[in-house]
Amino acid sequence: MDPKIREVSQIFERFKAAFVRKDFDTCNNLLSQLKVMLTAFKSLPPLFEETPNAVHELTLARDIYEHAVVLSVKIEDQDAFERDFFQLKPYYTDARGRIPPSPQEYPILGLNLLRLLVQNRIAEFHTELELLSPSALENPCIKHAVELEQSFMEGAYNRVLSARQTVPHETYVYFMDLLAKTVRDEIAGCSEKAYDSLSVNDAQKMLLFSSEKELHEYIKEEHPEWEIKNGFVFFQRAKESIPQKEIPSLQLINQTLSYARELERIV
Amino acid sequence: MTQDVEMKEQQPAPSNSVTSTSPSTFQHLKDIAALIETGAYTREARRIVKAIRWTIQLRKKLNASLLSSFLNFALVPGSEVHSRLSLYIPKEDEHDMEVDIATSATQAPTKHSVPELEIYCYLLILIFLIDEKRYNEAKACSSASIARVKNLNRRTTDVLASRLYFYYSLSYELTGDLAEIRGTLLALHRTATLRHDELGQETLLNLLLRNYLHYNLYDQAEKLRSKAPRFEAHSNQQFCRYLFYLGKIRTIQLEYTDAKESLLQAARKAPVSALGFRILCNKWAVIVRLLLGEIPERTVFMQKGMEKALRPYFELTNAVRIGDLELFKTVAEKFSSTFSSDRTNNLIVRLRHNVIRTGLRNISISYSRISLADIAKKLRLDSANPVADAESIVSKAIRDGAIDATLDHANGWMISKETGDIYSTNEPQIAFNSRIAFCLNMHNEAVRALRFPPNSHKEKESAEKRRERQQQEQELAKHIAEEDDDEF
Repeated sequence: MDPKIREVSQIFERFKAAFVRKDFDTCNNLLSQLKVMLTAFKSLPPLFEETPNAVHELTLARDIYEHAVVLSVKIEDQDAFERDFFQLKPYYTDARGRIPPSPQEYPILGLNLLRLLVQNRIAEFHTELELLSPSALENPCIKHAVELEQSFMEGAYNRVLSARQTVPHETYVYFMDLLAKTVRDEIAGCSEKAYDSLSVNDAQKMLLFSSEKELHEYIKEEHPEWEIKNGFVFFQRAKESIPQKEIPSLQLINQTLSYARELERIV
Repeated sequence: MTQDVEMKEQQPAPSNSVTSTSPSTFQHLKDIAALIETGAYTREARRIVKAIRWTIQLRKKLNASLLSSFLNFALVPGSEVHSRLSLYIPKEDEHDMEVDIATSATQAPTKHSVPELEIYCYLLILIFLIDEKRYNEAKACSSASIARVKNLNRRTTDVLASRLYFYYSLSYELTGDLAEIRGTLLALHRTATLRHDELGQETLLNLLLRNYLHYNLYDQAEKLRSKAPRFEAHSNQQFCRYLFYLGKIRTIQLEYTDAKESLLQAARKAPVSALGFRILCNKWAVIVRLLLGEIPERTVFMQKGMEKALRPYFELTNAVRIGDLELFKTVAEKFSSTFSSDRTNNLIVRLRHNVIRTGLRNISISYSRISLADIAKKLRLDSANPVADAESIVSKAIRDGAIDATLDHANGWMISKETGDIYSTNEPQIAFNSRIAFCLNMHNEAVRALRFPPNSHKEKESAEKRRERQQQEQELAKHIAEEDDDEF
């Protein structure tokens, strides 16, 4: 075996051992070493040179990046997740014909979809979705994320929350927890518009708080304009639009002048 | 996806080339060759554009013997290009055209090696190979031609080159190897940008977008599109394609308003003969409008030649209009093969949420007060906790402005608000303003699009004046010549 590959494999083994021990600091250090060493392999993206060890190197590198992505979830670092995922992606797309597919592919792609959903990057979510084949959409990991997005768009937040119990993969829990926070903000935003008032009890239930104290804290921090009186939460209804009595004169003058100018050009 | 490939140049109105029926196709080709030559010498790309338009008309009549005699006429027999191109032409039925070959041999003893003509020969052979469905040879031929074009830096070849790029990409698409040429296309686009070859840039940008979208690489396509230089469109066909691709990208990225604008404009600007392209534009436009919450008019689906192709989309629209989830599901399943071949399946999944919205809007208009349980029943929400689902769906719809209502949690009902008189607001004025702006903009664009043939104003000068001017020019030339002499 090529000495370079052997060296990388050895460090990777140490990385995996540390990973099982949940010694994430060591993992991080080893990972940076690994990433630097991977740059020496010419068969990896973007060069894709046809070296004799290409298949081995590609598989090894893909394995390393897959672990890197999972590690970033464990240490709850979303930026690292994004970076590692983008480094991993070419192995799934461009190297598809060169190496056998990875069993981790769909869980990781689903994880990425979930991340985009949590960060409310819906446009990118759909862009990624277009890249998946119809058979991939049937995969439970992907399907989970797709259904979440639908429920989220519809406003069926209960379904989003209950989906936490049915996560297809243990790494998903982290993002599901984040999603619960996003959902709470959404519900708060919707309730504000939809209700005149809610009893404190109902509000607490609806916003998924376990105690009244938490609700009070949340309102103080996020929505200071809400008013709590006689066991009811009153939402300020200032946003109501009263039929406008005033004529927007300046705007009208501007428009009329621009019509005159355009007409002059035509005549 | 392949339908819009064949968006051909619009057939020009019967011109002198059609009215003269007697000359053979070969004579036409010779005319075209002459046209290209004058175009090359006078550096007028306009003539070459005309030449290509004539060629497209001849497309159906091309055959092997005709092409080989044309090659003999246009290129030096025995030269490298000649022998290479001849390889692609099958050697059969040579007798038919013997007369023509004989005449051409006597007619053209002076051999011209204008590079434009050489490129044109490549183009002709390439079209022929594609029409004959010999795609692998077409691939080889187009690659060779691209290698040749790369080394030429003449503005007059731009028009021919842009056609070549198109057939180059087409031949690779037909064999399913589009990914292979992405690097080459990018390099060509870069070269075209450096040479200020705007038509080439336009064509190549479209081919690249097509290439990316073929593999659903919307991210890359959008990045390229937003970074590539933009300028006034040179070719209507290319501009239509660009709009279509832009519309697709924007649809995927949920910018529906912009997407609708691009797609509708693409459908409107496309030539009438490009039916497949217009159908595709309409399909996408229908979905985008549905996603926006609009219901396309019935006339959209009744356009000539499109009724059948748009049928699935018509039924889909119907389901969304009624707001019936069950019907929507049946339609989506019934036509799922059509939708997946149009690659609109994912978009249709997105529509589910619009179906619910429309249903909800209908309910809120008809009832002033309705219980959440009834709403859940009417919307046919099949879930574990329909009332809670209905409540959160309604509250989101209220926040998004889809319906105007309030919720009463304690009693579990929804109260619709009286719709106020819209004419007491500024709404009508705003709508009126946007329409006026549209009309004025349309007029301005029409004025800008007017084309004046170059030098047309000069033809009006009288014969006398022309003589005068020529005399002046001659004198000037003499002066310059004398000055030159002085310098020695």
